[in-house]
Amino acid sequence: MLEVEQLTKRFGGLVAVKNLGFSVRGGEILGLIGPNGSGKSTAMRCVMGVDAPTAGAVRFEGRDIAGLPSHKVSRLGVGLVFQHSRPLNRQTVLENIKVALIPDRLGMLLHSAEIDDRARAIAERVGLGAVLDRKPPTLAFADLRRMELAKAIAQHPKLVLVDEPFAGLTATEVAAFSELIAEFRAEGRAVLLVDHNVKSVAALVDRAVAMYLGEKIAEGTAAEVMRDETVRRVYLGGALVRAARDAAPAAHGAPLLEVRDVEVRYGKALAVQGVSLHVREGEFVALVGLNGAGKTTLFNAISGLVRHSGEVRWAGAPLAGLTPAAIARGGIVQCPETRELFGDMTVRENLELGGHRLEPTALAERLDWLFDLFPILRERTGQVARTLSGGEQQMLAIARALMMEPRLLILDEPTLGLAPVILETLSNALHRLRGSTRLTVLLGEQNVTFALPHADRLYVIDHGRLAWEGEPDRFETEAADAYL
Amino acid sequence: MAPPSWLRSRPVVAGLVILALGACVPLVGSGYVLGLLTVAFYTAVFAMAWDLLFGFAGEVNFGPTFLIGLGAYTAGILDARLAPNVSLWLCVLAGAAAAVIGGVVLALPALRVRGPYFGLTTLVAVLMLQNMVVVFADLTGGEIGLSVPDVMSVSATANYWIAFGFMAVSGAILYGLSRSPIGLVLQASGQDPVQAGALGFNVTKHKLFAFVVSAFFSGLAGALMVFYMGTASVGTFVDISVGVQIIVAAVLGGRRTVIGAAIGAVFLIAMGEALRPLGELATLIVSLLALLVVLFFPDGILGMLQGRSRRD
Amino acid sequence: MLAWQILIDGFAIGSLYALGATGFTLIFGVSGVLNLSHGAIMVAAAVAAWALAGLAGAGPWAAALGGIAIGVALATLTYFVTVRPIQRSPRVAEAEKEIFILTATLLWGIIISEAIAYLFTNNAKTVLPIVEGVVGWFGVRTPANEYFTAAVCWIAIGLLWLLVNRTRHGKALLAASMNPRGVTLLGIELSRIHLAVWLIYGVLASVAGILLGMFLGVSSYSVGPLTASAFSIVVLGGLGSVSGSLIAAYVVGYLETATAYLISPAYRTIPALLLLVVVMYLRPQGLFGRR
Repeated sequence: MLEVEQLTKRFGGLVAVKNLGFSVRGGEILGLIGPNGSGKSTAMRCVMGVDAPTAGAVRFEGRDIAGLPSHKVSRLGVGLVFQHSRPLNRQTVLENIKVALIPDRLGMLLHSAEIDDRARAIAERVGLGAVLDRKPPTLAFADLRRMELAKAIAQHPKLVLVDEPFAGLTATEVAAFSELIAEFRAEGRAVLLVDHNVKSVAALVDRAVAMYLGEKIAEGTAAEVMRDETVRRVYLGGALVRAARDAAPAAHGAPLLEVRDVEVRYGKALAVQGVSLHVREGEFVALVGLNGAGKTTLFNAISGLVRHSGEVRWAGAPLAGLTPAAIARGGIVQCPETRELFGDMTVRENLELGGHRLEPTALAERLDWLFDLFPILRERTGQVARTLSGGEQQMLAIARALMMEPRLLILDEPTLGLAPVILETLSNALHRLRGSTRLTVLLGEQNVTFALPHADRLYVIDHGRLAWEGEPDRFETEAADAYL
Repeated sequence: MAPPSWLRSRPVVAGLVILALGACVPLVGSGYVLGLLTVAFYTAVFAMAWDLLFGFAGEVNFGPTFLIGLGAYTAGILDARLAPNVSLWLCVLAGAAAAVIGGVVLALPALRVRGPYFGLTTLVAVLMLQNMVVVFADLTGGEIGLSVPDVMSVSATANYWIAFGFMAVSGAILYGLSRSPIGLVLQASGQDPVQAGALGFNVTKHKLFAFVVSAFFSGLAGALMVFYMGTASVGTFVDISVGVQIIVAAVLGGRRTVIGAAIGAVFLIAMGEALRPLGELATLIVSLLALLVVLFFPDGILGMLQGRSRRD
Repeated sequence: MLAWQILIDGFAIGSLYALGATGFTLIFGVSGVLNLSHGAIMVAAAVAAWALAGLAGAGPWAAALGGIAIGVALATLTYFVTVRPIQRSPRVAEAEKEIFILTATLLWGIIISEAIAYLFTNNAKTVLPIVEGVVGWFGVRTPANEYFTAAVCWIAIGLLWLLVNRTRHGKALLAASMNPRGVTLLGIELSRIHLAVWLIYGVLASVAGILLGMFLGVSSYSVGPLTASAFSIVVLGGLGSVSGSLIAAYVVGYLETATAYLISPAYRTIPALLLLVVVMYLRPQGLFGRR
């Protein structure tokens, strides 16, 4: 029913999707999986017409729909459930669903009883019968997601696109949603699911396509894809090799960073739940978990960038009430997943901004030290940050963070989207850092193989909760299998 | 048929109360009060038309006076030039038509851009019109203004009823539109165009429709007001400060309620009059109050009545 | 002769516009705000300078400095009274904040302009010129003031450029306009940056206003057209592009001057507006806009 061939999408210089091809039949559920930045959501938006493909063909029931505006695609029989709920907050649930049923004509001046009945029927079907007259701000998160499903299927689409169906749901809710989606399949519709977690959709999909950096890297049944070598290497960093580890400094005394029972909500969704961890001075602690497990949210809570309940203590004192900039000045420096570089400034300017609190001599010394650690940056001092390669940008981001002379460096997914060759360089740099300084590091990574050789201790985070904690040696025996 | 719960909704109740009060005024009010309220009622229609565009299509029109001015001046110029061969009402219709055409011409570039650019485009339109009026002074009367030979009526009471009736009918139509399925789609287009597109709606088409409706009512009200006042001038119909007054009226009354805009307009005009003894300070105080409303009561009068101070 | 006259006058006007537009763009780039009380601040500074000279007997330099002080104070107030409260307000939806701020700054501008009219009447006022007399350069007799105006504008723009590109604090401002979160992660308080930007803006707008007051005179009637021309220029040049604003300022300045001399002063503003309309139709993001 849906055929995608050689789909390519470029945003300026960035290639988000490259030569992607797959197909979905009626009565089948296909899962498009990949980490953040793999291009899966972009591919889905290209199918729906929200973005226009740069090249390639998208055929729906034999008809080329690439480049059509989304409202035309929708009327041809394609429905999309967005990743984030987008309700009309001033309208009731019933009215929200009715919008999906109204035809695209200007003459609709009177409410029709027929539309009203159909809206009610759909609401009953997805389980919203009891809350029809309530407004979205009063609804539970799962109900908001149900409403999104209701809107997407209101027009009886032949193809349903679902973006991250289970994000933010509890186990029981996941089961309920899976059933609803399975019903679509039973009705003969084609379903395309997009998610970053094979495990959670494995039970539901008939086939899966794995993506990385915009390209397809594997295809087959869910089990086949999970076992695929390339997939494991790219998502997990390959086989878990016990590498020589640095001698761990004596870790005793009060923890430098203490996180107690932190909980973060985005709107209704619970992103981080009851997480408690600690990091001692000089330790290298790794927080491993798949994309979307809650690492970034937790780091943002520690850095003061999102509101949270629970407590974060730094060097014995609570961080509550400090601005994020104050927390950074206090010694907790984060190098986020998105790097947040100053794109139009040169490498040198970025670094100098990082050292804005240093005296000129100290600044020069620090710069020298960092150029030693990351020689490629010395070569590229005058180059504008935006034009650097992914690996170089990551190194610049880390170097800039180090310019701030942090006591605790929080690194969020430094290896995301980088070619394996760069990972070695990064790994070496981290080794040298550990060897020559008393820097404390909290590393968040999906790539366990990258994290293991450096870590003194490991936490595993899954769906916003800590699932395991311990030494790297024990990880392989105890937690590794459950990980993917 | 929709259940009659809509009859009990706050905006409708407020609207009916206003209408009832308004109907009583000619019995007790002086000619001065009637005249004041007549102007207030026309302003109410300006504000309601603005609210439909903003509240429902999500587009901030910083130059509603572009549409109003087009309607007013077209009607005025036609009458000044062609009277007595042409009926006053024909001029009014021509004014409305001119405003609609102007609205479409404005909408085309404006709808292609987002955010601040849209607002700026509408502001530029007003400036253009203002400059055109001054430049073609022999046609438009320039800064002094244009006198029109015809007026709708010389009786203050008759003028009052015309304005009152016009406001009531326009209000009913605009409010009805806002509550109809089209209104629902406009809300969706305004709040979340991406989602509206994914649900199958041609967002541009619907926003253009909202523009046309807003332009029609603005132009019509402007044209009618010319034949009430007997003159057209930049200061009453085109100036940016008039536009600001309209926006403030709609925000004051409560965005997205249509009826609120009418309440805001009447309130604002009444307050302006009440403060007239203060002379030059009047505008300053009104602007100050408006600023306070924008800062502290963003949901407006109707919003406060509905006890809503939560963010949407 | 006429050609030189147009060149010189146009350059002076263009420079004034450039200074004002640079300030306007700075605020938009860093604070994300289109300040519609721009004209009011310019005029307030000029009127303050005039009042200090005329009513308090201050000399031209002292009056000018006093005017700048008032302008800076008003600019800072603009930030604290209209921009910051709305940006932090939990009662306004994110998507609507821009519109509310626009409306609030517009109202604030009206308040200032009405206050000026009330306190000092709305007659045109000329600020005591710092440089007097007439010079005969290029074979044209021009008030020395015009050259002074252009010089001061360019010195101010030059200083700003130096500040932003060569000093540590200035680079932090530039960085904040590119990536506010990046700046926070580096331990720099955004609130301080916003304050600094509005202070700098206050100086730029005040200087532009006072120079205008010396050159052509101002009144509370000038407020609207000044704001209008500032954002026309900024939109023409492309929102967020300083170089675009500079070029657009001269384009508009020369269009206005040429029209005033060659056609009629009454039609001064028309060609620039027409250009703006054309640009909006063909290239809505402006000549150099990128956002």
